[in-house]
Amino acid sequence: MSEIKPSEAASTDDSAEETDWAAAKAFFDNLKTYKPRPPKPRYAVTIAVSSRTLFNMVAERKIYEDEGLEKYVAYQQEHESEPLKPGAAFPFVKALMTVNTRLRELYPDSEELFDIVLMTNNHAQVGVRLINSINHYDLTIERFCMTGGKSPIGYLKAYMTNLYLSKDAEKVTEAIEEGIAAATMFMPETEAETKLSDTQLRVAFDGDAVLFSDESEIIVKKHGLDSFFEHEKEFENKPLAQGPLKCFLEALGKLQRKFYEKNERMNCPIRTFLVTARSAASSGARVLKTLRSWGLEIDEALFLAGAPKGPLLQKIKPHIFFDDQMFHIEGAKELGTISAHVPYGIGQKYHKGKLIEQPEKKK
Amino acid sequence: RPVKCLKSGPDDGGEILEIDESHLLLKLLHRVNERLEEENPEEPLLFDVILITTDSQRQQQSSRIISSTKHYGLEISRFCFASEDDFAESLQTNNVQLFLTTDRNEASQAAQKGVLSALLDQRVAISTSDQLRVMFCEDAVIQPDSGHTPVSTERAVQSFAAQMGEMRRRFRLSDSPLSFILVTLHGGRDRCADSLLTLRSSGLSVDEAYCLAGAPRGPILRCCSLTS
Repeated sequence: MSEIKPSEAASTDDSAEETDWAAAKAFFDNLKTYKPRPPKPRYAVTIAVSSRTLFNMVAERKIYEDEGLEKYVAYQQEHESEPLKPGAAFPFVKALMTVNTRLRELYPDSEELFDIVLMTNNHAQVGVRLINSINHYDLTIERFCMTGGKSPIGYLKAYMTNLYLSKDAEKVTEAIEEGIAAATMFMPETEAETKLSDTQLRVAFDGDAVLFSDESEIIVKKHGLDSFFEHEKEFENKPLAQGPLKCFLEALGKLQRKFYEKNERMNCPIRTFLVTARSAASSGARVLKTLRSWGLEIDEALFLAGAPKGPLLQKIKPHIFFDDQMFHIEGAKELGTISAHVPYGIGQKYHKGKLIEQPEKKK
Repeated sequence: RPVKCLKSGPDDGGEILEIDESHLLLKLLHRVNERLEEENPEEPLLFDVILITTDSQRQQQSSRIISSTKHYGLEISRFCFASEDDFAESLQTNNVQLFLTTDRNEASQAAQKGVLSALLDQRVAISTSDQLRVMFCEDAVIQPDSGHTPVSTERAVQSFAAQMGEMRRRFRLSDSPLSFILVTLHGGRDRCADSLLTLRSSGLSVDEAYCLAGAPRGPILRCCSLTS
């Protein structure tokens, strides 16, 4: 799984890296109106968002599907002064910006910040409308890749991405296979009753096959719930293996500790939640012990013992909720939670407990 | 016709001259010409490649040069022998739109005469695709020693962009043998947007855009060279 930041830059790149950094710093320092300059990628928590998760491009997508690429690009160009509406990842991005503001207040010289990169397959000419929209909402996004149809996976690695959010399940799957935390985003079907927090970033995670590997889920699917309970009790003290989002939780924890060190624990602008179908009595202990063995904290652990996640998530009101099972994603969406599907592990072969007939996977 | 001019490299004394990675570039240029002629057999807007050498030793072996290019199947339409002093004028008289060389001084001399020049950087140039990818990289334009870009070079960039834009429009957005990339190394998104619009108003709508805002260039540029 992805490390927070692998430090393997070739030495010939290092001096070029410093020159590029210094030149960008000079550029941002000399701007007439202040703009926070983007952090050094090596130290930052890099979040890559696609254009369709950042903005609502459903209508434009339909033009692409019905009328083809040329008509789509022409349409976007004609409308490029019209800002796009916010998409599923928009509240999450605003929350990341709030955390950055707080971090800059406490640590004005630190590069340990969120770095938001726009990673899109779109043609560069569509990019003008995307940049205009980013300007309209005054989002702090200065880095982007508009690949004109080419795969973004290489660029995700080049940017040392910690989390990739897209509407395209294939790209997300590819990213996870390459060791990058990734999820497919879904807009909620209903408006949330009350607004999401604008002072605190709230992130909810499922446990198995998201933070942890799918090893225990395999037991449930293949041998049933009773075997699962026995197994988890027996192996309570053996840490589970990592899942695809473990490193992202770790990155959040690192930023949280920066607030604790400045006595801001009660006022920390990042809060994490574990929302698991496990039960506290029988299989919950292993999960908490695993987190402890990793040196990770989670602010609230909610054990549902199989109850639906939707209503609880309505109360939590996270900016994003990660789960590996579409069943839970659908339940969350129905009740107004912004959800992100992590296509990992055995859960992908099942729907509501039944094995899905899969066509032969072409490689 | 847009004219590209290549400088030949050093000699090792053999019968057939050694070839370097620029031959890949020639193959890609030729491929673009082939596709252009597929769309329109009477197409006037094609790449025209001139090989220029100022090496006097080399000039005595003009037949070796010509036979070597034939040997490798390189599409070169003209050979030009000039001296180091007046080669830049040769570029002008031959109406060269883009001069490619591995020699920084020569690039600088050509730029001073208002001929758009680029250094062939072999680290980045090895592309595994069969698409000719042309990158406009902000903050990497060769500046003459005076420290600012002369108006003549700006005009050269604009005219090059206009011709390239026209050529690009002969193909559809996808499956083109020719692709244009804008990379902004140090400025932010507004700087990149300005460059996109400037190139567009010169007649070239680039296909891909990357704004690095100070992120290390190495990994991203390597990614740009490899294509799927």
